[in-house]
Amino acid sequence: MAACIVCPKRPLLALPFLLPSCEPVALELRRNQSSYRRTKQRLRVKPDASFGASNQSRDHIIYNPPPTAPSVYQTPTKFLPPDDARRALRTDASSGSENLDSFAPIYKSSPEKTYHLSPSDIEEIRKLRLTDPMSWSRWKLAKRFGCSPMFIAMVCEAAPEKKEMQKQVLEAIQSRWGAKRRMAREDRQLRRETWGRDE
Amino acid sequence: MKRLQLLRWSSSALSARARAGVRLQQNIARGARYQTTVSPAAQSESGQLADEQSFPPQFSSNPQQSKYALPSPPVEAARESAKLAALHARLYLPSRLPLETLARSLVDTSADPNPNFNNESLATLGHDLLTYYTSEHLLCTYPRLPLTVIFAAMYAYVGPKTLTAMAKEWGVETAAAPGGEVDPGLLQFKRLLPGTELNAEGATMRPNAHQKSWRKSITSRIVYDNEFGEQPQTQAPVDAQGAQGVSFERANATFVRALMGSIYLHAGRPAAKRFFEQHFLSRHLNISELFNFSQPARDLSRLCARENFEPPVAKIISETGRKSRHPVFIVGIFSGKDKLGEAAGASLLEARSRAAVAALKGWYLYSPLNVRVPSSTEEEGAAPWKPVHVDLGEVIV
Repeated sequence: MAACIVCPKRPLLALPFLLPSCEPVALELRRNQSSYRRTKQRLRVKPDASFGASNQSRDHIIYNPPPTAPSVYQTPTKFLPPDDARRALRTDASSGSENLDSFAPIYKSSPEKTYHLSPSDIEEIRKLRLTDPMSWSRWKLAKRFGCSPMFIAMVCEAAPEKKEMQKQVLEAIQSRWGAKRRMAREDRQLRRETWGRDE
Repeated sequence: MKRLQLLRWSSSALSARARAGVRLQQNIARGARYQTTVSPAAQSESGQLADEQSFPPQFSSNPQQSKYALPSPPVEAARESAKLAALHARLYLPSRLPLETLARSLVDTSADPNPNFNNESLATLGHDLLTYYTSEHLLCTYPRLPLTVIFAAMYAYVGPKTLTAMAKEWGVETAAAPGGEVDPGLLQFKRLLPGTELNAEGATMRPNAHQKSWRKSITSRIVYDNEFGEQPQTQAPVDAQGAQGVSFERANATFVRALMGSIYLHAGRPAAKRFFEQHFLSRHLNISELFNFSQPARDLSRLCARENFEPPVAKIISETGRKSRHPVFIVGIFSGKDKLGEAAGASLLEARSRAAVAALKGWYLYSPLNVRVPSSTEEEGAAPWKPVHVDLGEVIV
């Protein structure tokens, strides 16, 4: 019961509507009725700093834009060509001096690129993957050569019979899907396509 | 620079029938016809004397019959059409553009195959002007746009669908069938037979054109295809009894192009340019909606490598409800100290992808200050041309 949770310490006699003789409809109405004082209290939001009395007594411009996504028509300063006049106009203050270090990166650690594989290694990767595709998967090759599976996919392609087998495995899995799962997967794919169109 | 005498030109742009139908001569001829009681044969002789152009005698002998024999309305009918005058006034066309030319621009090739009376030549000129003005506007305003987006924007500004919508907005109505007795204020064309194949592709210079399944690269589209990056549609073949029909869309688009060409011929370049700015450029087109990226994060890192920027790093600016059903992440993409783009998404991957899209759009939609187009130097006393910003081109992965 919501009322009991909100004010459990009040004496029951002071709240006559809590007595069982009271109807539940009336009780709800009574609790949701906001008083003038309560309304004022809720609306008392601390104003933004730029609205407050600043140290300078002169008139000044209040700049407090609503939080919106930045427009794509406003070119970032880094993307302006060197002879553009807007480069000089944009100062640190206008670009928003945010503390970059306080932002957490998406990935825990960005791996440093080592570029340690030689052409002979790449030849070996190709040979292993083509001759014995069952035992040398992308993950195993990546582990052995100390690179990412993405790199393995970039330098070589799976053998055709392995591709055919994987296709059959996928079809077997998908044949067990019901309508709900299939539609959910298709919807997810459609949603992912809207990312690139910015919809 | 000497100004061109466009008024003198305009008489040559008018067709021979229009030149013959000067009002004074017309009135004299009509008066002579009313005052005499001679036979129609004698009337036709006197009419031929007044006109330099020799009409076939059966046309001028009986005006009612001759109207039905003509494939399109006669030039004299343009002055009597209320629809034509209303269209002229509604579009606020320059007064130097006569009603006769406006009537001619409403006659399609399928209605009147005679090139002296249909709008084909005017439409060719108007099409070149429209595509020139649009492409120079796009290239100077957004110098970094990818070519696919330029093609799409050209199609949106002066493509046949847009021109058809404009003709509809201008209140141009179509005649059910072309003929000499029709009001010249109606758009006249012969309609297609139902069931005709519409998307027949025309002849092309492209080698291996018979290989339908081959990929057509964007670069080859510049060379071989039209200004919208499409293979031009085939011209309807003309058979023995006249031209074959055209589609509603094509007839309307041809009319709008012909109108642009006739304004240029009669009223001159400044008027044509003003007409283009008021009717074509004023249409709102959000170019940022024409993009579609498949791998935005990869493209952005290629771009940063090409331009010698620091590699882009995605960072979380703020987030809410990470463990809830509807989390919101705001991710910014930074290159060194500078923020390239930021976006919100329901997952970290989505937010990162959208932020990369925003950064790429920020790159491609760069627009210089004080944009000038090359055709602005054609005006008298214009400042000399300064080269515009030329970009390296789109990101190729």
